Amino acid sequence: MPITMGLLLALSFVVSLLALSFLIWAIATKQFALDRAHAATVFGKGGADGPDTDGTHLFDTTGIDRVSARPVRLLILGAIFWLVLGSTFGVIASLKLHWPDWLNQAAPLTFGRMRALHLNLVAYGWLSQIGIACMFWILPRIFRTPLRAPNLPVIGFWIWNIGITLGALAFAQGWTDGEEWLEFPWQLDMLLVLAGVFFVVPLVKTARAREVDHIYVTGWYFLAAMVWFPCLFFIANLPGIHYGIEEATVNWWFAHNVLGLWLTPLGVGTAYYFIPKIIGKPIYSYSLSLIGFWGLALFYSQVGIHHLIGGPVPTWVVTLSVVHSVMMFIPVIAVAINQHVTVARNLWALKESLPLRFISFGAVMYTLASFQGSIEALRSVNTITHFTHYTVGHAHLGAYAFVSIVMFGAAYHIMPRMMGRDFAHPGLIRLHFWLVVVGFAIYFFALTIGGLLQGLAMLDATRSFAESVILTKPWLEARSVGGTMMTLGHILFAINVIGILRKPRAVAQSAVAAE
Amino acid sequence: MTRTSKQTASKIVKPGEDFEPWESHNRVPLPVIWIALALGVWGTALLFQDQSSYAVAQGDREADEVAAHDAPEGGEALFLANCSTCHQPNGVGVRLAVPPLQDSEFAKAGPEVVAQIVLRGIDGPIRVKGFTFDGHMPSFAAALDDGEVAQLASYVAGRFGDADAALGRDQVAELRAAHAGSGSWQGGEELAGLVPGLPAQPAMPAMAQAGPDPAISDLIFAGRGDVWSCASCHGGLGQGAENTPRLAGLSQGYIAKQLQDFREGERQNEHMSFVAKGLSDSEIEGLAVYYAGLRVDSTAQPALGGDLARGERIALQGDWSLGVPACFSCHGPSGFGVGADFPALAAQQPAYLASQLAAWAGGHRNNSPLGLMDRISEALPESDRRAVADYLASLPAVPPTEQKAMARIEGGGDEL
Amino acid sequence: MNRYLPLVLIAFGILAFATLMLVIAPGIQMAQRSVPEGLRPYSEQESRGREQYVSLGCVYCHSQQPRSPDQAPDVERGWGRPSVAGDYVFDQPHQLGTMRTGPDLLNVGVRLPSESWHLTHLYQPRAIFGWSIMPAYPYLFEEKPEAGPEDTVVVLPEGFGPDSGVVVARQEALDLTAYLLALDRTYPVPEDALRDDGYARKESGS
Repeated sequence: MPITMGLLLALSFVVSLLALSFLIWAIATKQFALDRAHAATVFGKGGADGPDTDGTHLFDTTGIDRVSARPVRLLILGAIFWLVLGSTFGVIASLKLHWPDWLNQAAPLTFGRMRALHLNLVAYGWLSQIGIACMFWILPRIFRTPLRAPNLPVIGFWIWNIGITLGALAFAQGWTDGEEWLEFPWQLDMLLVLAGVFFVVPLVKTARAREVDHIYVTGWYFLAAMVWFPCLFFIANLPGIHYGIEEATVNWWFAHNVLGLWLTPLGVGTAYYFIPKIIGKPIYSYSLSLIGFWGLALFYSQVGIHHLIGGPVPTWVVTLSVVHSVMMFIPVIAVAINQHVTVARNLWALKESLPLRFISFGAVMYTLASFQGSIEALRSVNTITHFTHYTVGHAHLGAYAFVSIVMFGAAYHIMPRMMGRDFAHPGLIRLHFWLVVVGFAIYFFALTIGGLLQGLAMLDATRSFAESVILTKPWLEARSVGGTMMTLGHILFAINVIGILRKPRAVAQSAVAAE
Repeated sequence: MTRTSKQTASKIVKPGEDFEPWESHNRVPLPVIWIALALGVWGTALLFQDQSSYAVAQGDREADEVAAHDAPEGGEALFLANCSTCHQPNGVGVRLAVPPLQDSEFAKAGPEVVAQIVLRGIDGPIRVKGFTFDGHMPSFAAALDDGEVAQLASYVAGRFGDADAALGRDQVAELRAAHAGSGSWQGGEELAGLVPGLPAQPAMPAMAQAGPDPAISDLIFAGRGDVWSCASCHGGLGQGAENTPRLAGLSQGYIAKQLQDFREGERQNEHMSFVAKGLSDSEIEGLAVYYAGLRVDSTAQPALGGDLARGERIALQGDWSLGVPACFSCHGPSGFGVGADFPALAAQQPAYLASQLAAWAGGHRNNSPLGLMDRISEALPESDRRAVADYLASLPAVPPTEQKAMARIEGGGDEL
Repeated sequence: MNRYLPLVLIAFGILAFATLMLVIAPGIQMAQRSVPEGLRPYSEQESRGREQYVSLGCVYCHSQQPRSPDQAPDVERGWGRPSVAGDYVFDQPHQLGTMRTGPDLLNVGVRLPSESWHLTHLYQPRAIFGWSIMPAYPYLFEEKPEAGPEDTVVVLPEGFGPDSGVVVARQEALDLTAYLLALDRTYPVPEDALRDDGYARKESGS
């Protein structure tokens, strides 16, 4: 048996390595048909009214934006509602960890419910929706063609949000499917799946109708994510077929791939679009963008079992995930070079553009979160960090400091252009930025340090378990402070976004308003 | 990075609103390829290393299986494993404490007599080779199967009694059935009926063993409004589980002192402090008497993956390179306990033993007289804690001692 | 990359391959093992209690997967032997957990077999552990002026109970406790047990 599993293990790794080598070879020998001229000529299909193609890559998206505006607006609104509510539940959950007797009177208020509400509302209510909004804004633009069937996403919006609301009410009452990231009762998950159809169909139609020969890198991430997430969601939530440890492997295959094959593509794809867009320069290297994308697909998909290191799963599966987790350095470095070099060469842009500050900060956090994750997956490190608050800090470095902050920047860029007017309170944008950055720094360092201390205490039998709990308390209190600052930032964000959607304060002279 | 304003001005080209992103064509930087290759090599190496790691663990599991199923072969190994800790490997016993086997009347009486003693154990006074011993030998009926008892009895009778008859497994089975439910031999007095020509045996004292006070019994089995029942955690027979200790057979003085220490805060444990605070002095005495008199089998087994041979060595000889004395040098032969200050260790739950050693080492248990256990535990590495705990758990259950004289260290407390 | 269909097909294929490696292959390997001898399915009350455990979100603070002594001293804390894949065949949904804000519970029924203790602890953990940050679950209990004949009264020290009357466990509390007491995986490990052995040291003996 060990021989067979060892063979499977080696097989998987060899396949991934071969695929990567093939990719690199393909790039080197120019199998991907894209040369400078091709990239310059983005219109292949007789666009007589297309703007001039003198190599400066200009395209007027006003018409396209007008069609996308309605679904994007709705999705952003929906996302912000869940952001504020979900963050509040997060703060409540955090406070309960050091005020354990607060709000104990009824079951929906208990930590176990609050924490599940927080996670699901921010993951599916905020991040997924704002990510989908970015897809609807960006994809038609990079395909140079208006969104097809623009009414469908509106229907999808309503179904999605009704689903989230019902799901939240359900597990506030204790009706839960019982696994992390999968708490929504599967009966209500079907609503999300249905809504997903209404989101995916128009985007695929738009993709098929594109007016470009080359799909810009953001498009790969978004189009693949639209295949990956439904598969993951569907398989993981199927009732009745999973149990025991197999269910645990499905759980963590799903949960980590939701992060890596859904949220990460949303965040990376969005950053890939807005960073060069705002700066006005191309990203550094097409070849690196290929390595970044396919490396993510190949390696990330198999890291999920690093959540079960030292646990009751076969050794080879764990090692497989550990090795793939470390291999993630390759695509992450590739993306980092592409995104950060472009910014580093144009630091003036950070001064000029508030949205870029959010987006670039978020992109850097992606690099750091991934590096941290790769190292955290090593068995020697994991034995300290597993089961501690350290992992919570890491999760938020990725899902919050990376994806959420990129999405803040994207929203701040999109909204003035979409509404044709300025933000009512531009000062609040700066305040939002500092609140979330400083708040998150406190949050992250508190949990990282507290978690490491906790893990070291748990590994030492001469220290009682009580010690590992008592020593985390001040760090948990600090986390509540950080989390409250972050939530205040979100409230400011909501004020601004709702403000711009209402009566116009000032009509913008140019669309470049918030920068 | 400083630039002149002229340079800055010429470098900033703010994009028009209709600039759309595209990918430039720089090559993949060489360091990225190197990193990819290095990680590929590392990953492959980790896969191979992992195979051997799995093989080691699988080997350990199979070794444990082997250890569990293959009991030591032969009478001598059985004797060394089960009897020698009290009767000594050369069978001479311990002066005034444990009867000798060498040339004893009982060994000479043949393997059948030896087998019956092994199956039932002995309580009460007995005279062997002219000396009177008043102690308690545990029963090994539960610990050894028929074949093992046969081999052991044959070996003991052969080596120490010069008997040449060997005992068969079927005979042991018959004896076991005949004596089932009889309890222990009541002193040499009852054994006189078994062994012809036995020298005069001391009389068995009348055991006016009244049952425990009903109030104590209630406390133990039903609890009270402010105290959980003892049995609800320590087991109906006081045998303990995981890191909840076995109480049965611990000395009365020891149990009473620990309960007092929990009550005063001298010993820290949240569960026991909760309980002890609700106990009066007379209740503490009553509980101590009850558990000290409990005579039940051991349910403890090695469970921590400790090295039993190493544990045995530390228990019997200590490890003076670490400054660790033999456990038995204070806790008595076979870990049966001495007085109120050195509790019985035999048959104690291994997780409890290991956790107490860890607690002394970590400073959150410190009620050991003269601070003895603090220093010993600090010297023991983690693997030895587990080794010792597992070994002690493998020993037979402690017979309760009737204490005529209570040995106690005066002026105790961790003065060191 | 310029073509939609190859892009999504290859992306899908990569995910399918990952699913094969992470889910299907280990699933087949585990399905080939028989249920361990010492493990029995949950009784009806224990199953109800397990649903309570799941619905209250206990898994967010408590794990159910003790680690090997090669890696961590879980066994010395009384948490039991390292768990193996076969220990969980009757668990749906699994409650392996990823946090140890509180201790591992896979063998809590062995080291804390007292129903009375668990009722006290669920009603108010700080009645026992002053440092505890576990929530209290008063709504699993009710206060009564005096206990009825069928009632299970909760043991409480002074200051933690109501001024007059007693605290009595509701059925939910009794069910949950029954589940906790059923958490016992101390039976011996079958030879072909599956768990992560990556921490096993190269030198023999521990």
